[in-house]
Amino acid sequence: MADVGNNSGLLKVRLVTPDRVLLDATAETVELPSMSGYLEALYGAAPLLAELGAGEVRLHGGSSGEQTFFVAWGFVEVLPECVTILAETALHPEEIDQNEAEAELRHGAELWDQAGDDQSKYDEANAVTRVAEEKLASLAGKH
Amino acid sequence: MANVLDLRRRIRSVKNTRQITKAMKMVSAAKLRRAQEHAMQARPYARMLTNVLQSLVRRTDLFNEQTGEIMHPLLVEREEKSVLVLVIAGDKGFAGGFNSNIGKAAQRFIDERRANGQNIDLEPIGKKAIGLFKKRFPMAVYEHTEELYDNDLSKHIENIRHRAAPIEVAAEHPTLLAKTDFEDVSALANSIISRYEGAEIDAVYIVYNEFKSVISQRVVVEKLLPIRKLGAHPVTVIEEMTEEQKEAAGKAAQESGVSINEPEESAAEREAKKFGTADVDYLFDQSPERLFRHLMPRYITTEIFHALLESIAAEHAARMTATDAATKNAGELIDKLSLTMNRVRQAAITKEIIEIVSGAAAL
Repeated sequence: MADVGNNSGLLKVRLVTPDRVLLDATAETVELPSMSGYLEALYGAAPLLAELGAGEVRLHGGSSGEQTFFVAWGFVEVLPECVTILAETALHPEEIDQNEAEAELRHGAELWDQAGDDQSKYDEANAVTRVAEEKLASLAGKH
Repeated sequence: MANVLDLRRRIRSVKNTRQITKAMKMVSAAKLRRAQEHAMQARPYARMLTNVLQSLVRRTDLFNEQTGEIMHPLLVEREEKSVLVLVIAGDKGFAGGFNSNIGKAAQRFIDERRANGQNIDLEPIGKKAIGLFKKRFPMAVYEHTEELYDNDLSKHIENIRHRAAPIEVAAEHPTLLAKTDFEDVSALANSIISRYEGAEIDAVYIVYNEFKSVISQRVVVEKLLPIRKLGAHPVTVIEEMTEEQKEAAGKAAQESGVSINEPEESAAEREAKKFGTADVDYLFDQSPERLFRHLMPRYITTEIFHALLESIAAEHAARMTATDAATKNAGELIDKLSLTMNRVRQAAITKEIIEIVSGAAAL
């Protein structure tokens, strides 16, 4: 394990969006929706860089209490004592608009129908659909 | 000579104008402060993204073994035959030379490029820029085709561009400034990237007003694509502020309580600089190459976003300075008119006395 500077046993968590630093707190564990599935970072974790897909970032324990943010796309740096998340959009689950998410889901299906034989368009349609689905799942509290 | 009543009316009208410009100055100062704050708060994200990309470049095998160049569609340099120019001006007038300076700078750049025989696509951002360029140049024409196939289950939609003139307005963005929503900017960036990757355009430039602080601003042309060096802003300065302008802007800022110094680096920004650069071996959840490809479009987005935020701050600063000057001019005009009015009134009184005195003498 790499050198750990503070001995509080708490991770310093920062959530940064293009607009501002949304959250600067501590937590015992952080759940992250990486592209290859959910992963959980604990104090003293090995350094990691990962891309985040659509899903929920969940913080447990520490000063943050239980907090959840929905992110559509992001990037994370995990260091033994600190986790920094870059997120293109970060919402509290209650900020998600059900109607909007449903409209996005339909838009995704529409894009899929219109993609023709262009692979990149299918990828784009998939991405839109996935974000919308995750939003709806987040709303329903299924995770 | 005008009579007292007319002068009094004029003074009243100028006083009203002064009140309006004074209020506008206050509003602009408040908006400027907010815009500056917004620009500051957006920095950590941009900084972090650039850091990650830089560290990824070091770690990936994106290099061509023979030439040592990085291989990515957005880094490919081609001969510049078609150039896309984004022009960021304001949504409203009453901002001194702000909009016209940008218009002039953009026009000069266009003329230069045109002289080299390049085709130019314009994408004005902000209502003033749109108004300016739509009057001068034709809109691009797109042919919309829809094709049904798979027993009418799927539809293939394509927009084909037919270039009619060497300089065309390819698209316009009237709402981007008012909202400055990252998602909207992202959509614009993605459309630019797909055109660049499809070789529809060979280079992308942004003309905007760079804003460091109230007294340090300049109109620049920044090269957005192809990317030469990550984190660098290769700019050509078109117009710098003159000493006079700096002084006027500085005074206006001080009076409205806006700092004239460049804001200091925040703690978040200092932390952001360390992002992704720790002296450890990172594990990668995905391959660095893939990460690099996914991060590049975001980098372009933050570059445009950054230009937008700076331009907005510059617009408010320009309006603050302009309305401050207008307020001062109105004050001077009032003084001058009051003096004239007093003279006219005194002249009338003197005339009356002379008439009385000479009347009395004639008796």
